[in-house]
Amino acid sequence: MGKKKQKTVLPPELPPEVPDEDIEVSDEDLQFINENLEYAGFVSKLDTHSITKHVSRVADADEGALESLYEKRLRKKLQKKDEEESTLEVDPVDVLPVKTLDGELYYRRVTKESKIYEAESTQGEATGVLKLTKPEKRAKQKKLRKEAKKLSKEEVQQVPAQAEVLDEVKKDISTEESREMKKYKLAELGTAILADPESNIKSLKEMLEISKDGDGVIVILALKSLLAVFKNIIPGYRIRLPTEKEKEMKVSKAVKKLRFYESTLLSALKAYIQKLVALQQQTVYKRVAANCLCTLLAAVPHFNFRESLLAAVVSNLSSQDDVVRKLSCSTLKSLFINTGKHGGEATVEAVKLIADFVKAHNCLLHPDSVEAFMSLSFEDLGKPENPDADNRAKSKKSKKRKGVDESNQIPDNDRKKTRKEMMLKTREEVNADLKAASFAQDPEEKRRMQSETLSALFQTFFRILKCAVQPVTEAIVVPGGFGSHPLLAPCLNGIGKFSHLIDLDFMSDVMNLLRKLAGNSSKIGDSLKSSVQLSVSERLRCCIVAFKVMRNNLDALNVDLQDFYTHFYNLLLEYRPGRDEGELVAEAFKLMLCDDRQHDMQRAAAFVKRLATFSLCFGSAESIAALVTVKHILQKNDKCRNLLENDAGGGSVAGAIAKYQPYAMDPNRSGALASILWELKLLIKHYHPAVATMSTNISSMSSSNNQVYHHVSPQQAYAELSLEKESAVPSGDTKRANNKKRRTNDHIPLKSAVDLALMDQISENEVRQKLSQHFLLLRDIQENERLKFEMDQTTHCLNLYKHYKKQKTRKGRGHAKR
Amino acid sequence: MRPLDEKETTQVFNKLHKFVGGNLKNIVLDNQSHEGPDSNPGRYCFRLQKNRVYYVSESLVRRATNIKREKLVSLGTQIGKFTQAGKFHLTIQSLNLLAANAKHKVWLKPTSEMSFLYGNSVLKGGVGRITENIQVNDGVVVFSMADVPLGFGDAAKSTVDCRKMDPNGIVVHRHADIGEYLRMEDEL
Repeated sequence: MGKKKQKTVLPPELPPEVPDEDIEVSDEDLQFINENLEYAGFVSKLDTHSITKHVSRVADADEGALESLYEKRLRKKLQKKDEEESTLEVDPVDVLPVKTLDGELYYRRVTKESKIYEAESTQGEATGVLKLTKPEKRAKQKKLRKEAKKLSKEEVQQVPAQAEVLDEVKKDISTEESREMKKYKLAELGTAILADPESNIKSLKEMLEISKDGDGVIVILALKSLLAVFKNIIPGYRIRLPTEKEKEMKVSKAVKKLRFYESTLLSALKAYIQKLVALQQQTVYKRVAANCLCTLLAAVPHFNFRESLLAAVVSNLSSQDDVVRKLSCSTLKSLFINTGKHGGEATVEAVKLIADFVKAHNCLLHPDSVEAFMSLSFEDLGKPENPDADNRAKSKKSKKRKGVDESNQIPDNDRKKTRKEMMLKTREEVNADLKAASFAQDPEEKRRMQSETLSALFQTFFRILKCAVQPVTEAIVVPGGFGSHPLLAPCLNGIGKFSHLIDLDFMSDVMNLLRKLAGNSSKIGDSLKSSVQLSVSERLRCCIVAFKVMRNNLDALNVDLQDFYTHFYNLLLEYRPGRDEGELVAEAFKLMLCDDRQHDMQRAAAFVKRLATFSLCFGSAESIAALVTVKHILQKNDKCRNLLENDAGGGSVAGAIAKYQPYAMDPNRSGALASILWELKLLIKHYHPAVATMSTNISSMSSSNNQVYHHVSPQQAYAELSLEKESAVPSGDTKRANNKKRRTNDHIPLKSAVDLALMDQISENEVRQKLSQHFLLLRDIQENERLKFEMDQTTHCLNLYKHYKKQKTRKGRGHAKR
Repeated sequence: MRPLDEKETTQVFNKLHKFVGGNLKNIVLDNQSHEGPDSNPGRYCFRLQKNRVYYVSESLVRRATNIKREKLVSLGTQIGKFTQAGKFHLTIQSLNLLAANAKHKVWLKPTSEMSFLYGNSVLKGGVGRITENIQVNDGVVVFSMADVPLGFGDAAKSTVDCRKMDPNGIVVHRHADIGEYLRMEDEL
């Protein structure tokens, strides 16, 4: 450091700096001045040249030539420098001289820095190694270099102030150079702080000053280097500022120093955060500031000012800027996942803040803002049980102990009693001390935070649900063009994920809301436009979530979610393959129809019938999922196999409804038992072999009673076929292709041929034959048509000619004119 | 035999509505009878005969007019009766009608079927399944696990409360059960 400073700092500027800065600096400066007096002319001549030299020297310290140069110059001032070093740099190890290859002794101030950097890098900082160090290891780390540059810049910045004294010098320094100087200044200040935070803490303020620079590049650099510095020097504990009373008390020097250090650090950090928050408003600095905030929060979530950091990050959650939003979202996620750093307190605060945020914006935010909750789950899953278990175990133990103690005490005489009491007391005290001293959190405390987090979480979810239920007035314009209920989908996912944690008291409310949402458009009559139409996917999700909630919470009581079945029954009609998510339908099949043990006969039959119809209309993936479900239901409900009989049921079998009503809204009223599954006969001829086999399987179920249960979930079946579909028809939409198949002649064989070829390599030959047959036939037909056309034309010509002749013979002259 | 007057109709409909909710429409309007030789199916209607209310197809009503009121013992399906105090009670014969249109259902475990058929209330321990969203005092139709209707009654607890109850708590207060066909053969 010393070297650099000496070289880089311009002689005239130093004196004014002295009074402002630390005493140490002033010492340096004085010495510098002396040296500079000698150099003054030299510096002014060299100027940029010398600076660059120094820079390069710093960067590639390992080069022998540079070193030797350096040494020569230094030799004279070695003594002085040593003194400087001792004052500047605390580490005694660094003061030791180094013997070069030439055998010359060489005092390294730089080494200290390098060591500092090492320390830094070991701390895991990416800041990187600085200039001077000879070893190559650090040369890589660019950040430090940047810092170094910044530091020098800082110096330069101060230089111009002083430069007024020497105009000549000032003129020479272009803005470029001043920028460079500031960079170096920043680097120097930063390394100084990192080297010895306690004594150099004041430099933080200097760095903050630099960050107010007018030059955008410098501001950004200053922010970044400050971030690096803060990340390193912030201690692993939370600083509590001394109270007035404590301030009055006499304290030792060390304590005073520490207090001063802490208060400076805090004020600097506060100023820095405020600066960042303010800078966020400006588009130029937006990303940098957001980045700094996020990194700082991720690095030191335990420290003071966490609240303001969190608030800033949370408010970024719905930013229009994708980068900023993703960044803050991922920061929060990592905050939720790594609770070890802050003991979970930050999680509680963050969740609460998000809850307030959602509330303030009336649920009109980017989905990402709630998406962060999803990673919350992983933490929450294990936690609630652990503290409980701990507590229980503890309380049991303590109870036992007490019981033992008491039982022992009773027979004992008084003396022993008192002694025992004494022992008990002391033990309690010791335990209390232990608790206070141990790092492990109190399970009580943990549980409290847990419950707070949960309540805030579900509060948010309920708010979103309620928002979705309420009719949206036309006046509200959704910002950013998200859907009408942007938060609904992630919210439903969240509820599904945390469904096991929902309080039983809330559950009825949740179910009511879900029911309303799921049945949103089924009551078109009454609700009309006032209530916003949810998409089919969203409503499907509602059904699924309702089932998840029920399943996760009710082991004892088997509740039949009739309304949701009805909604789902009707939703099936509204499903469109391209628009809605097929995976959701498959999941709903699995959850609602396959997993549930019992069904009413009527309802089961209604679903079987509808699913069969459903599979007729859609692509192979959807049909196979539906067919698998049909098979499941039929296997479970013997009576429904009547649907497979050729003879339509009716009468007592069909129940009260004697005739199948395909348009009934309620599956219980559809009278499906009175119908037969004629769809299967068609599906047996399905172009997709899997579908065809499945439907053959199902239709033979009634005859072979002892079916081997092989359970493939509809989801699996769906996934398999949809994957196959993707690979089979990369460019086109298969469903459309299927539809086309029935209508246009030319495309069908081709597409289905592709399918077949992929599915079954063996049948390739067959396909080829069929194809060739097909095309031969086509060609024949075309040929025929062409010939027919020609024949028609010739006959027509002949007719015309005959006609002409006739007329000619009749009218003679008149025709001849023509 | 006469049609119900307005007051009686409200009483009957209220009672039915408790059990079937919106499906009341099916019972009163949509249900079509195919009795008799008429080409177009007739509807069903309610008739009062000796304090008992019957659910009868219109064609049957027309034929029944041939019989003197005192001589007419029964027609169609009896669904309930008016007490001396003028209140309307559903009787067990209405079970089929209710079961086909029920909104709220409770399925009994096979072990507790017998107890219910002897005229006891449904305890939580005996419930195999229960429809979601039942409120207190809703009409509930009781089924066996094989979907055979067994009787009906009033919900004593909402579905939500049922979760927290102990197994001996009453879920459904019995109104009628098919055991009555044996136990109270004469009164029916």
